[in-house]
Amino acid sequence: MIPFRLVFQPGVALSEQIIYAATKAIVSGQLRPGDPFPSVRTLSRELKINPNTAHKVVMQLTARGLVEVLPGIGTVVAATLPKPTAAARAGLLGGEIEGLVVESKKLGMQLDDVLAAVTRHWQSLGGTEPAQPAKGGRKTNE
Amino acid sequence: MSSSISTHELSKAFRHTEAVNALDLEVPEGSIYALIGPNGAGKTTTIKLLMNILRASAGSAEVLGVDSRRLSPREFARIGYVSENQEMPEWMTVDYFLRYLRPFYPTWDDALADDLVRQFELPRDRKLRHLSRGMRMKAALASSLAYRPELVVLDEPFTGLDALVRDEFTKSLLERAEGTTILISSHDLAEIENFASHVGYIEEGHLRFTEEMGTLADRFRQVELTFDAPPPLPADWPAAWMRPETSAAVVRFIDSRFDVERTPAEIQRLFPNARNVDFHAMSLREIFVALAMAGRHAKAA
Repeated sequence: MIPFRLVFQPGVALSEQIIYAATKAIVSGQLRPGDPFPSVRTLSRELKINPNTAHKVVMQLTARGLVEVLPGIGTVVAATLPKPTAAARAGLLGGEIEGLVVESKKLGMQLDDVLAAVTRHWQSLGGTEPAQPAKGGRKTNE
Repeated sequence: MSSSISTHELSKAFRHTEAVNALDLEVPEGSIYALIGPNGAGKTTTIKLLMNILRASAGSAEVLGVDSRRLSPREFARIGYVSENQEMPEWMTVDYFLRYLRPFYPTWDDALADDLVRQFELPRDRKLRHLSRGMRMKAALASSLAYRPELVVLDEPFTGLDALVRDEFTKSLLERAEGTTILISSHDLAEIENFASHVGYIEEGHLRFTEEMGTLADRFRQVELTFDAPPPLPADWPAAWMRPETSAAVVRFIDSRFDVERTPAEIQRLFPNARNVDFHAMSLREIFVALAMAGRHAKAA
């Protein structure tokens, strides 16, 4: 079984989509340090992807310090995870943010209107953190 | 990288039809090569030529480094071949069939054969003629994987199988795919697009294109331009931009040579008034439809 949710989208490299889903699961705590992570063979079989793609996924996640391959045990989520920076968290939302920006531009909206709409929505969900004010102090996540 | 299969202007004519026409096919070692095309495009004929079931009218093919016309039991012991309409000794039971095949294959692995029978839930004591279509295909695949072939050739393996059996079939294939070259033909792309590493599109006996999966997905984008006023169509429309469509304030086309730098620059040059430019990644199915339509138009022109 694959311990993270994944529905493939057309046009984006499969390895990127899997790395993204796995990273999200680890950063959000759905997968905890020491939890077993699927092997190359399991990833390939269960997601029905090329073994080379599965191999690439495990290599990349290892290189980023998110999983480790323990000889004789298998692949597990790394015991000490690199602390996700604000930029890294924002990076996980990159696709969604891009989609929002594109749709907003198509509708001819101004950035301030979009920020205001996001702020309203954020507050309606009772977010504990104060949202960035819509006017002034614009912050970009790079 | 060397090729497991390599054909040179391979052709096969039946009476008046060219079923396969000067085909140059390269299946790299270790690849999972998807041979895609509509029904009647020449996929099965190509595979039968490769397996020396049919004799070529012209051209040649090499399989595992041997001329396909000289394939001997020695090579066939390294090839697993499963086809949609495989002939099997109908009177044998599943167990008997596997025991019967065993001595032909020096690399036969009893434990693996057992594994496959168990995984596929094949009824060991049932005669092949009494198996359902799905069971037959699974028995054929089990008998072709049990000797760990270097090359697996699958001709339309998914036709007529229900979703569950397709799933099992794919999974057990991929579980053993490492270090194996797989050639798989299908008219249905969705089934194989996620695990194929290479794809060839065959139509009317011609190989229309052959490409690595990754580069194919990278170079196609659907582009949508939005304007405030009806857009002017430039006279020097780029050849790589396929199937342009326009409506009141939108221009849509498929860029077949998408480049993250070059395409936006080209759009800026030809459509300086575009209010918004949107690039959509495309599914392989959409890409194939676009290519097939483009081929049809080219022929009509």
